[in-house]
Amino acid sequence: MSRHSHHIKECIRMFEKLSEYIDSELDELTCRDIERHVKSCIQCKTCLETLKRTVALCRNAEREAVPELFSRRLKAFIQDLSSE
Amino acid sequence: MPTRPKTKSVKDDDSELIAAINAGQKKQFYNLVKRYEQKLYNFGLKMCRDITDAEDLVQETFLNVFRYLKDFRQETKFKNWLYRIAGNVCIKKRRRSKFAPEKELSLEEFLPGEDTVAERELPDWAALPLEKVLNRELNATINSAIRSLPQHYRAIIILRDIEGFSTEETAQILDLTPPNVKVRLHRARLFLREKLKDYFQNE
Repeated sequence: MSRHSHHIKECIRMFEKLSEYIDSELDELTCRDIERHVKSCIQCKTCLETLKRTVALCRNAEREAVPELFSRRLKAFIQDLSSE
Repeated sequence: MPTRPKTKSVKDDDSELIAAINAGQKKQFYNLVKRYEQKLYNFGLKMCRDITDAEDLVQETFLNVFRYLKDFRQETKFKNWLYRIAGNVCIKKRRRSKFAPEKELSLEEFLPGEDTVAERELPDWAALPLEKVLNRELNATINSAIRSLPQHYRAIIILRDIEGFSTEETAQILDLTPPNVKVRLHRARLFLREKLKDYFQNE
């Protein structure tokens, strides 16, 4: 089914809720609405999947190590503070 | 005279250490710093424009924590209180540097295109297993994309999607309402999605 067979307003209504859907912050009825919609609207499905992946990439991105020099400086600063 | 209702005290993994520090074992403070140094440094790297600012943010945050730890009533988890302080340090830094007014992101600018081929096919970066997509270069791209967000969106996406705070916790940390957090988070994610699309298209 192409997007033209949908009312564009329906896509916009879904689009506004995609993050809440990903975060499981919607009621069951709205979730079912979204699931039904993305089954027949490829653009919204792509949008949902790429948004899900964006969140997953952020959640799994590696943390930078603290530079050794700064870590030593911070340690000295804290030791000065706590011995005052 | 009516008495104020007692607020429930929140116990977490840091409670014991904080009690020891507040009981006079000041040297234990460094152990608290070690627990959060890397997290806070990474928060700084994404919130600030450069490494020096990120380092300043970490140091200034811990200085404030040291000063006010005796007043911390454990009405929230220590981690939430720590990020609230870090967020306030960022706001002060921003005021000092005389930034331009914050830009608002509108939902319309992120609406998927009507007939673009790209929107009709699931791209590899969203279809392949996560471990095949993530690498150091992409990490750097994500960090840079987050840094290019307006500050009030940046803080929300870091707290929610990197640090794993809930909507309610993020709202408390940043003094916002939960609906406001949700609206900004959605726009920030859509902004990042656009940046990732560009990155993978030009790869």
